[in-house]
Amino acid sequence: MRCGIGIEARQVNELYINIDPIQAGGRLTADAMKAVIAYGDGYSVCDNCRKPNRLDYISKPPIAGFHRDVAAWLNMDAVRTVPGARRGFQAVTNTYVSKGDPVLLTSLSHYTEFLAVEETGGIVREIPHDSAHKITADATATKIEEVMREFGRVPVLAFIDHVDYQYGNMHDVKAIAKVAHHYDIPILYNGAYTVGILPVDGGDFGVDFIVGSGHKSMAAPAPSGVLAATKERAGEVFRTTTIKGDVTNRTFGIKEPEMMGCTLMGATLVGMMASFPQVKERVKHFDRELENNRRVLEALLSVTGTKILSEYPRNHTLTRVDTLASFDTIAESHKKRGFYLSAALEEKGIVGIIPGATKVWKFNTYGTTPQQAAFLADAFVAVAMDNGLPHNA
Amino acid sequence: MTFQALYTLTDLRVILRETAPQHQLDETRRAQAQRLLDNLERQVASLKQEMLK
Repeated sequence: MRCGIGIEARQVNELYINIDPIQAGGRLTADAMKAVIAYGDGYSVCDNCRKPNRLDYISKPPIAGFHRDVAAWLNMDAVRTVPGARRGFQAVTNTYVSKGDPVLLTSLSHYTEFLAVEETGGIVREIPHDSAHKITADATATKIEEVMREFGRVPVLAFIDHVDYQYGNMHDVKAIAKVAHHYDIPILYNGAYTVGILPVDGGDFGVDFIVGSGHKSMAAPAPSGVLAATKERAGEVFRTTTIKGDVTNRTFGIKEPEMMGCTLMGATLVGMMASFPQVKERVKHFDRELENNRRVLEALLSVTGTKILSEYPRNHTLTRVDTLASFDTIAESHKKRGFYLSAALEEKGIVGIIPGATKVWKFNTYGTTPQQAAFLADAFVAVAMDNGLPHNA
Repeated sequence: MTFQALYTLTDLRVILRETAPQHQLDETRRAQAQRLLDNLERQVASLKQEMLK
């Protein structure tokens, strides 16, 4: 079935259990799908835009209220919606980083954080992770001291990913933020894998900014996300325009340069808004998600030689595994080589693992029902058994 | 009525997602699907009546 010339209707999530590490938290709720149907037209949220003509002031649909609600939910003072977490990073780096300024990232930072710094001419310095692939407050303090020796000043900004994309490990944001603030460094909390997945309290963490991803973790269409700030920082990152045309003398009201005026003007925003009540509710039940994840991991570990590379027991459902001594041993002699694993899983109705991966790979069980988690667990064991791998399931 | 029918189909779509890949419906989901399909039939009938009158 097609929805345009050459565009097949996508039925991945209807036909399969999808454990793609980046797709799990962005699957739409029914309400978001309905909102997308109704608000697909370009400037669909602008029907009732009135002075002062800015997206976050629109009350029909209730966009203004949504902004207030998200800020309160994150325990921050101000929120704007952005076209993806990366645009949130960009707004912050554009505000605080100038050419030659040192910026603190980590050895587990997402590439878009690097690019956001690069664009400003800033220089990144990475806090190294420890042997357990964790970023610690001590390592943060050590790195800041190193930067001070190298640059003669502290970094102008620090990023910390609460849960990193490589291992899905949870890092001690509160302690790291405390260290950063000790040196008067503003800190950006990257919640791409947490905002919309588990409870996030910016006030408790003591961070200056929170960035969340709508399409990764808030059951929203892409590209969407949120940038939240404390009152003190909001005046800086959400400053309003002061520019004036020399011929026309035009000025542009309360538009915000870092947001380029208005941001999400249609289905992306209304999709995120429509999912929000369910998203607020689901973060309270993250323990259920961990239980589903545990079930699958136990099945994988029952296959002799499989290792979990992420912290274990898990604090997040995004998990990195090492199957060099288990599933990969079959790849060498199998007629499908390394593709046999993803092919066998697909035959059973499971997708989302990189085709060809049998050595080190990631998956995410977020959003599966208990029945689907049980099915997944059984499927991994079945593939092992079908290929004669030793197991103790 | 157009939106109602589309939204009913969306609710059916969600059932497919929640039960993938086997789509074996338990009693609760079966009853839910039955109710949605009955609604859909009524909604399509109303659409026919309104658009083709």
